[in-house]
Amino acid sequence: MEPLAETPWDVTISGTGLAQSLLALALSRSGKKVLHVDQNSYYGGSEAAFSLQEAQEWASKVNGEPEHYPFEDATVYLPEGAPHLPTRSYTLSLSPHLIYSKSRLLPTLVASKVYRQLEFQAVGSWWIHKPQSDSSSTDGITGSSVLYRVPGSREDVFADDIISVKSKRTLMRFLRHIGKPPQDGDSGAEEDLTMSLPEYLSSNFQVPAELHEPLLSLSLSQTSPRQTSAEYAVPRIKRHLASIGVFGPGFGSLLTKWGGGSEIAQVGCRALAVGGGVYVLNSGIESISNLHETGNGDDTRVQLHLSNDETIKTRFVVGSNWDLPGQGRPTCDKVARSITVVSSPLESLFPVTAEGGPIPAGAVVVFPGSSFDQSDDLPPVYLLVHSSETGECPSGQCVVYGSVNCAGAQGQTLIEGAIHRLLQSNAEPDANVLWSLRYTQLGVSSNSANPNSFKFEDPSSSILCFPPPSLDLAFDDALIDQVKDAWKLVMGDEADEQEFMDFEDREHADDDD
Amino acid sequence: MSESTSTNTPKPSSSVKLVLLGEAAVGKSSLVLRFVNNDFQENKEPTIGAAFLTQKCSLPTRTIKFEIWDTAGQERFASLAPMYYRNAQAALVVYDVTKPSSLTKAKHWVAELQRQASPGIVIALVGNKLDLTNDADEASGEPRTDSEQQPPAATTDEDDTAGEPQEEQDATPGDARKVSTREASSYADEEGLLFFETSAKTGVNVVEVFTAIANAIPESSLKSGRGAGAGTGQTTLGGGRPTEDSRVNLGDRTTATAKEGCAC
Repeated sequence: MEPLAETPWDVTISGTGLAQSLLALALSRSGKKVLHVDQNSYYGGSEAAFSLQEAQEWASKVNGEPEHYPFEDATVYLPEGAPHLPTRSYTLSLSPHLIYSKSRLLPTLVASKVYRQLEFQAVGSWWIHKPQSDSSSTDGITGSSVLYRVPGSREDVFADDIISVKSKRTLMRFLRHIGKPPQDGDSGAEEDLTMSLPEYLSSNFQVPAELHEPLLSLSLSQTSPRQTSAEYAVPRIKRHLASIGVFGPGFGSLLTKWGGGSEIAQVGCRALAVGGGVYVLNSGIESISNLHETGNGDDTRVQLHLSNDETIKTRFVVGSNWDLPGQGRPTCDKVARSITVVSSPLESLFPVTAEGGPIPAGAVVVFPGSSFDQSDDLPPVYLLVHSSETGECPSGQCVVYGSVNCAGAQGQTLIEGAIHRLLQSNAEPDANVLWSLRYTQLGVSSNSANPNSFKFEDPSSSILCFPPPSLDLAFDDALIDQVKDAWKLVMGDEADEQEFMDFEDREHADDDD
Repeated sequence: MSESTSTNTPKPSSSVKLVLLGEAAVGKSSLVLRFVNNDFQENKEPTIGAAFLTQKCSLPTRTIKFEIWDTAGQERFASLAPMYYRNAQAALVVYDVTKPSSLTKAKHWVAELQRQASPGIVIALVGNKLDLTNDADEASGEPRTDSEQQPPAATTDEDDTAGEPQEEQDATPGDARKVSTREASSYADEEGLLFFETSAKTGVNVVEVFTAIANAIPESSLKSGRGAGAGTGQTTLGGGRPTEDSRVNLGDRTTATAKEGCAC
């Protein structure tokens, strides 16, 4: 076996996160000589999935070598008296994001033929905490749920028995408005979207205030209603509605079974491995130096020193700020996140939402900032709840992925409070938290200005550094554009946009004989 | 055989992720090729990185669709296997009955799987290249009782290459076996593995391995997660659809792979 140093690599990819792994997929049929390395002993980078034991090890690494991970302050919380859990029965994902049916990721996975290796499940219902002050009927004695199912489609609105008839009319008017295909009336483009979502809903459609938070939750906005602009929220609510029914009745978004983004990352890496790419785990890049072998620039190669002590030459090196030395620290937003195993199947969260629809494996539960009895204008807490159908935990349990746009102890307290209330309202009386991993995640908030405007800094450079990962709770299609940009730079003149991620089946290659 | 009959009856079908592990050149890819295409290539080139194939296996009560990950035994950095065996429900660990070192390597893989893979993984230990031994015509391993009733391989109708083994045996006279059936079989018993000796070349025992794995996958891991409660509600809604209640299909072309019919 020849050592790595003897191959003149076309591309070296550092890190196996989603961006790098989708690039690996894109290059899997390119004929390029690709070396794919990762400093970690596992695949998936900041989108990895772990057993309990691996999660514990990950937490120590994050705290010990903060420069290598877009995470901070990771701690495992074990409640007193919690039973010992079988570590490998869990697959806890750092990237539990949901994928809207209209996301460009799905056609990309289909055209590149890797979708058959993935299993997708439905995210069915959005639930929101309902303020109890105005309705005296639910005074807690009956134990009736304080969560209310957000109507996510016109059918839902009709069927809803909580919203008053008058409110329904305003809501339908809004839904009809945003459901209009854009080509029908271009005058719609004129409407003023600079105000906040509540202002927009009240002034244009007289939607009553009680429906503002539920509508906001459909946008997955991580800021409070007052701080969320209509410009941000309206297209995202539109996306939510337009996605319903695309892959089956009653749901509009999906999750990837067995660990979310980690599965997609691994499928991308496998595709490149099948295509001849060489994989080396436990080997990060320690240093990068530029070589100028000839004057014409074409042969500019970079020399990389790997942590396994090999030194290699490569035309391009692609990675993130956490996988490439000397790239500095980008400015990042920070959110508090947690992964919590609870001892309840929480079955009431996963009803089949339309006749003939699949049993959802995921649900979204939202606790608006206003539900926390604090004076500040708090951001909402999102809980993505995965049932054991996802393969992430044993049956009888759920994995709750919490997120709030408020890093640190305050954010963790908010998430903890939200999970506590979720168990109170929807679980058996003896249900409790069995295990929890809490951490701060760094990245680009979907609420920040122009999150999609990323361009590689110096396209003539041999070093391509992906931007920090998106903190959006839904898969951010901008990632596909970033991967495509990197692919174009690597392919140079050979890049034909039509061929990006569009592959023939491999497995029936034998049929020609 | 009868492709149409198996597709008429809507049996529940489930996917099973299966990984192949083992030293280089023990015949991993050839076993899969025999199973999937009932074919054998004499001088098959080494698998570069890995390969992915699918094949259905029809059992009396259900259909198992194997998603087979064939890893490269020559892989230099032992970096591919972890992404293959993660969430795998079955593993085929292959050694060469004429090469003792390959059994040692196989034992390493078994230990690694027992340490790292999903807790319920079904592992089959497979000694390949039985055609190079004096037991060439005789299927050994667990289904021995069956094989006693079987005629020698040369007369089975699926054996296209009936003439070749004889020529091959002339070239290499005597028994090339270096790993006894008893040694490997008792190791498999100790570790709770399925055990077979196969020949990808003649086809002996190949289908039997996959059928045994399919039978050994616990029903619970196929229907994963919530039990009867959710399922009964589903039957009225789903209108008699097969299982996998929670699965969402992205492409209609998934059905095209069914044409292979049943190999078991």
